[in-house]
Amino acid sequence: MKKVFIPVAGAVLLMTFTGCATAPHVYESELDRAPMTTRIEPQDIRRTVEKMAESLISDAGVLEATGGKRPVLDIEPMKNRSQMIVDMKSITDSVRTRLIRSRLFRFVDRTTAGADITIMDEQAQLGLTDRRKAIRPGQQSAAEMYLTGSLTDMITRAGRATDHYYKFNMILKDLRTGEIVWTDEQEIRKVAIRPTF
Amino acid sequence: MKLACIAALACACTVAAGCRTTAGTSVVMNHQTGGSVIYEGNTRLHNEVAVTAVTYDKVPAGLNRVNIQLTSLVQRELHLQYRIAWFNAEGMEIDGDARTYRPLILQGLDSVTVTGVGNHPSAVTSRLRLRERRAADHRR
Repeated sequence: MKKVFIPVAGAVLLMTFTGCATAPHVYESELDRAPMTTRIEPQDIRRTVEKMAESLISDAGVLEATGGKRPVLDIEPMKNRSQMIVDMKSITDSVRTRLIRSRLFRFVDRTTAGADITIMDEQAQLGLTDRRKAIRPGQQSAAEMYLTGSLTDMITRAGRATDHYYKFNMILKDLRTGEIVWTDEQEIRKVAIRPTF
Repeated sequence: MKLACIAALACACTVAAGCRTTAGTSVVMNHQTGGSVIYEGNTRLHNEVAVTAVTYDKVPAGLNRVNIQLTSLVQRELHLQYRIAWFNAEGMEIDGDARTYRPLILQGLDSVTVTGVGNHPSAVTSRLRLRERRAADHRR
């Protein structure tokens, strides 16, 4: 019994002390890992983006509103009405990436309009570019619709449990008619229970 | 007594190692031929969840869509994750990093239908991968 017990105990102690090493244990994690907190986490954003992009791609109303053509869209930053600090532009940027790669939508980007003007001015004034090939202002596509949305949350606390509910809502609005052509929601609910000790 | 201790230790290690498998159930759907194949890589999951129906169609924009019905075979709540990936005609995955594992809570003896839409016009094959959430969480 001692001949088995002592080596096993020694192995267990060795593993325990190895775990007390001062350097942090760092490893590559998959993008859709298990939740660590009740806050919005990267995997929640990824799932929301995937769901919204799929919903928009498969909606018949969008195709009907555009007459079967590839519409030109723009992004209006989503409103964060929750208590969390979330980069809302990052979410709409990801949705835009999915939609462009689906080859069903076209996008313009107003946030880089200043850079567009700067580049066009340089092409026109510096004398380095062939004037016949230089791009002049006033030829860009106009957005026909725009994407926007909001994030809201609701927190419930009862005893040791904290229940955190989030709702992402996105809409696609037609600039010409003012109508909401598409809308969808993503609900996320997380519960954390504090340990007794 | 000595042998019993060694056997018990070996048993415990085997059980612990078996709980770490992330292999699950896969459903491959070829949207060009209409054929589908189900692979079950996890005996425990095979006994808990069954793939009861697989259908496919196209969304109005022309992209392929797959609908898969999953039925619970047990009475307790199941916490699962599923991911639907899309492949082109050469069998290469399209935008693999963009496809996420989505949570799925299946109530006892209940059925749910999960749906996936192709992310590119060249997507002609879909693959649903279903796994236990508990097994995927082992490195928390």
